[in-house]
Amino acid sequence: MKEIIKIGWQTLKKPSAYFSLGFLVIGGFIAGVIFWGGFNTALEATNTEEFCISCHEMENNVYEELKTTIHFSNRSGVRATCPDCHVPHKWTDKIARKMQASKEVWGKIFGTINTRDKFLAHRKRLAQNEWTRLKANDSLECRNCHNFDYMDFTAQSSRASQQHSTSLADGEKTCIDCHKGIAHQLPDMKGVEGW
Amino acid sequence: MKTMINHLVKTLVLSILFTTSVLAADKHVATLRGEVNIDTQAEPSAIANTVNKDIKQGRNYPMQPPVIPHKIRNYEVNLNSNKCMSCHSRNRTEESQAPMVSVTHYMDRDGNFLAEISPRRYFCNQCHAPQKDVKPLVENTFIDMHTLMKSKVNTKNEH
Amino acid sequence: MTINRREFIKANAVAAAATVAGVSIPAKASNLITSSDVTKLKWDKAPCRFCGTGCSVNVGVMDGKVVATHGDIKSPVNKGLNCIKGYFLSKIMYGKDRLTTPLLRMKNGKFDKEGDFTPITWDAAFDIMAEKTKQTLKEKGPTGIGMFGSGQWTVFEGYAASKLMKAGFRSNNIDPNARHCMASAVGGFMRTFGIDEPMGCYDDIEATDAMVLWGSNMAEMHPILWTRITDRRLSAPHVKVAVLSTYAHRSSDLADNSMIFTPQTDLAILNFIAHYIIKTDRVNKDFVNKHTNFKLGNTDIGYGLRPEHHLEQKAKNNGKTAGGSSPINFDQYAKFVSTYTAEYVSKLSGVPVDNLNALAELYADPKTKVCSFWTMGFNQHTRGVWANNLVYNIHLLTGKISTPGNSPFSLTGQPSACGTAREVGTFSHRLPADMVVNNKKHRDLSEKLWKVPTGTIPPKPGYHAVLQNRKLKDGELNFYWSMCNNNMQAAANLNEEAYPGYRNPKNFIVVSDPYPTVTAQAADLILPTAMWVEKEGVYGNAERRTQAWYQMVEAPQGAKSDLWQLVEFSKRFKIEEVWPQELLDKNPTYKGKSMYEVLYKNGQVDKFSINQVPTDRLNDEARHFGFYIQKGLFEEYASFGRGKAHDLADYDRYHQERGLRWPVVDGKETLRRFKEGSDPYVEAGSDFQFYGKKDGKAIIFALPYEPPAESPDAEFDMWLSTGRVLEHWHSGSMTQRVPELYKAVPDALVYMHPDDAKSRGMRRGDLVKIVSRRGEVQTRVETRGRNKPPKGLVFMPWFDASRLVNKVTLDATDPLSKQTDFKKCAVKVVKV
Repeated sequence: MKEIIKIGWQTLKKPSAYFSLGFLVIGGFIAGVIFWGGFNTALEATNTEEFCISCHEMENNVYEELKTTIHFSNRSGVRATCPDCHVPHKWTDKIARKMQASKEVWGKIFGTINTRDKFLAHRKRLAQNEWTRLKANDSLECRNCHNFDYMDFTAQSSRASQQHSTSLADGEKTCIDCHKGIAHQLPDMKGVEGW
Repeated sequence: MKTMINHLVKTLVLSILFTTSVLAADKHVATLRGEVNIDTQAEPSAIANTVNKDIKQGRNYPMQPPVIPHKIRNYEVNLNSNKCMSCHSRNRTEESQAPMVSVTHYMDRDGNFLAEISPRRYFCNQCHAPQKDVKPLVENTFIDMHTLMKSKVNTKNEH
Repeated sequence: MTINRREFIKANAVAAAATVAGVSIPAKASNLITSSDVTKLKWDKAPCRFCGTGCSVNVGVMDGKVVATHGDIKSPVNKGLNCIKGYFLSKIMYGKDRLTTPLLRMKNGKFDKEGDFTPITWDAAFDIMAEKTKQTLKEKGPTGIGMFGSGQWTVFEGYAASKLMKAGFRSNNIDPNARHCMASAVGGFMRTFGIDEPMGCYDDIEATDAMVLWGSNMAEMHPILWTRITDRRLSAPHVKVAVLSTYAHRSSDLADNSMIFTPQTDLAILNFIAHYIIKTDRVNKDFVNKHTNFKLGNTDIGYGLRPEHHLEQKAKNNGKTAGGSSPINFDQYAKFVSTYTAEYVSKLSGVPVDNLNALAELYADPKTKVCSFWTMGFNQHTRGVWANNLVYNIHLLTGKISTPGNSPFSLTGQPSACGTAREVGTFSHRLPADMVVNNKKHRDLSEKLWKVPTGTIPPKPGYHAVLQNRKLKDGELNFYWSMCNNNMQAAANLNEEAYPGYRNPKNFIVVSDPYPTVTAQAADLILPTAMWVEKEGVYGNAERRTQAWYQMVEAPQGAKSDLWQLVEFSKRFKIEEVWPQELLDKNPTYKGKSMYEVLYKNGQVDKFSINQVPTDRLNDEARHFGFYIQKGLFEEYASFGRGKAHDLADYDRYHQERGLRWPVVDGKETLRRFKEGSDPYVEAGSDFQFYGKKDGKAIIFALPYEPPAESPDAEFDMWLSTGRVLEHWHSGSMTQRVPELYKAVPDALVYMHPDDAKSRGMRRGDLVKIVSRRGEVQTRVETRGRNKPPKGLVFMPWFDASRLVNKVTLDATDPLSKQTDFKKCAVKVVKV
């Protein structure tokens, strides 16, 4: 075994005797493109709703709940899919979120929330993760679609325009402060600020 | 025979009296159905929108629970949360500027005041409902006590 | 207010001065009217007009109009609360289309089945009714006459109607719409306990540790009881709520354990719980040994369809043997339920094993006090009596019954389903105080109390609700009077049975109602009717509470109460015209008398003078007939039950109390029956006594799961369940005329799972038709909101007169109770 590693390492250390430099550069580049492309494609594939709800935990709980909400069905037909709200759009943030998601893989493997009751037991913690993230990034994923600058207050109900033109405008509040539970059912809200 | 004629006359007189409201065919009777026979059906109207104007609607009498002047789509009221109270409870109204639920809502079954809304009033929808933007099928001739009082005061003043 | 400028200035000056001086401002000078002789309302109490909860309502009257209503704080039932419907009671009488004159279908001045509705006088209306009745009697005899009544009738109205039909016309073809509502509950009580109505009461809610809703959506259907359940659950956190239903709804919002089961499998779940109790050795052996017997019930009992239906042809015990049973012992029973394992039942019902076990534990744990609640989920069920029997089984096995917090509680739908339909016995097989027509002793006693000759009451049970519609269609029931109900909208399969029945040229149909309903539309003669506080009344609610109210306002000119209509109509007949000679010969003193004199002015009903009506009270009926008719009828009726565990207090007392729960013995009401110390009828030393049965023992029945009459298949691929909504009462004939309630829920939509809609190419709001083997109805798709059906099931409420879902439903009934199953049939939903 040791021998094999040794020979392998020596081969890598030695300058190439068989391939031209050009071949190596171009070949390396192409391999890099394929590798990088593959990585990104795979990453993007995990960024689709289809992927998200391929787990029954997601399909039977949060996705089922989403179906009756305004983020699923509304007058203009613009709908939010899971990653729209739950995956950051900026690359670095996205990678950071994906690394966090590795924990979710463990959760899946060990069946942490594989029944409705288990899911409900964890719901508050899971929801709080999302609220914390959105609070910290000033509801970035909301704002990817709902841009404050282009809101027409006259088209909103008076309650909504009142809140948006004051608390939201001066940055005192961010979207998630008032819109918790907009797309999924709420956990036990005992002790949650504003409830 | 005499009674028959009697009835016939009465019926005739009545029919003339009621010509304005004579109901020509059976399909004109059931007011909630529109002019449709039972074995057929009028095309169901579209689902109406919920009135979302935030304009308080007058109450028919002081004890009437107010109707909800806004949408409540996906507002949860269950074991986990009560979305309504996140605006309408006493300690939330300063921020929300929503009307506070009446003091009766803090009373238990025996009329004692509790520190928080009484659990018996927890499900707001049992008394309060938003309104759809539709026209009533039948007019209601309920008279507001205020109207009655005013007319009484008026007649008094006239004498 | 007319006030001239000079007076205005003067008034303002006075007001200013008064304010400074700190004295009160005279009424005339303020923008507010404050003078008490103008602002004063006359307040009175009445039970709510709607559901069986029996809330007490304070009714405010000004100038002869109801101007306000609110929950009665003195009532132990609702303690000041009302539901949204209850709060709008003030407006139910004021729909602009109130009927004020009888309307007869006429052509060329004469009655014509195909004629147009034409106003006639009350005299002319009674003339044609009498003519048609006499003609029917001549051609078909008493069985050609029928009446469909109501659990919304007052006690005296039901009693007067029952007497008119059973003793007057000698026809048992009288049934209340309560047949659609709780006939299965009655069947369950009679079979298990031998006496009708719940042993417990609402007070059990505040004393319990767990509440289980069996196919009941109390949040919408019994909202004030739901406030008590919510109160209990949220104020005592150890309390658990379990909700079983075939779709998720508002009651699920309070559930610690929410279970969605496949229709009909509730029978299996109930047997599983019994099995779980036995398997975990938590049977209360002492209680079971002393107070219960075991029986094996007959099975394969059919589905109450027409006899030629293939399902009836196939059924082994669909006749007289359907209710049969044979004694077994505990071991045999244990073996019987042992096949209902958690795994088997979970597979059958779709409820996860963990949820089933958690549910069963509530019953099994001896430290947990438990209440079960049910209404239409159990009762509107082709095995409704069984479902009732099976839920009693689990309370009896654990001895969790008749004690505070332990209560199997059968809720009722209508305000007087208990008081009028059940206690008065307005069913086709019943007499007052749980007696039945096919029992000679019961007939004898009734005839004696009614002062009519032996043999007056026919021994054969009459046509029940569903059979009435079939007999109308078949042309065997020719004179039919429908009162205080809306059966053309309410009865299942109206396309094939009710509608052709009403329109059958052989039949003459009379409909009494305050409003022009769908049923009125199908009638030949419509009678305008007084309602609720436009008459004096007594209702009996689900916890045996009898409540009375006074007439508070006048009915619109021309509208008359059901009581007036029934009694006044009886004047149209000489007793010779309705009784055969041999009956008359038994009591020759009745010769030449009118039916009115024999039944109502009989020395008993007219015993109480008009002077006993408080002088400041309206009472149109008493003043019309010249005696306190309501009191007379009530007291004669009460004589059936006094001393027989159905004791009622004196009539006048009910006007003082917020109701009393019978039996009322020595002036005291009874909270819990069958328990020593609480129920005066239980013998000392017996602890519990189920005295409805001769040996004092209740029966635990071994009964299996059997499939429903119709299940989804390849063509009709979905379940249809029907029901009510919170904002509308029954068929909406009152609530749809209140603008606020109408606007809250204007139309009946079909609730559907979003995936079911998607797979059919539908979306919310789409125009669709629901099609069954019997008919179709069009409506709009709703994929969200208060009801969340699972895939494969749709729900549509029946309150909407313009979208008659009962064109689609199946008139399969429980062969024991004859109650229709409105909760399940097979349909397809297609785009229009």
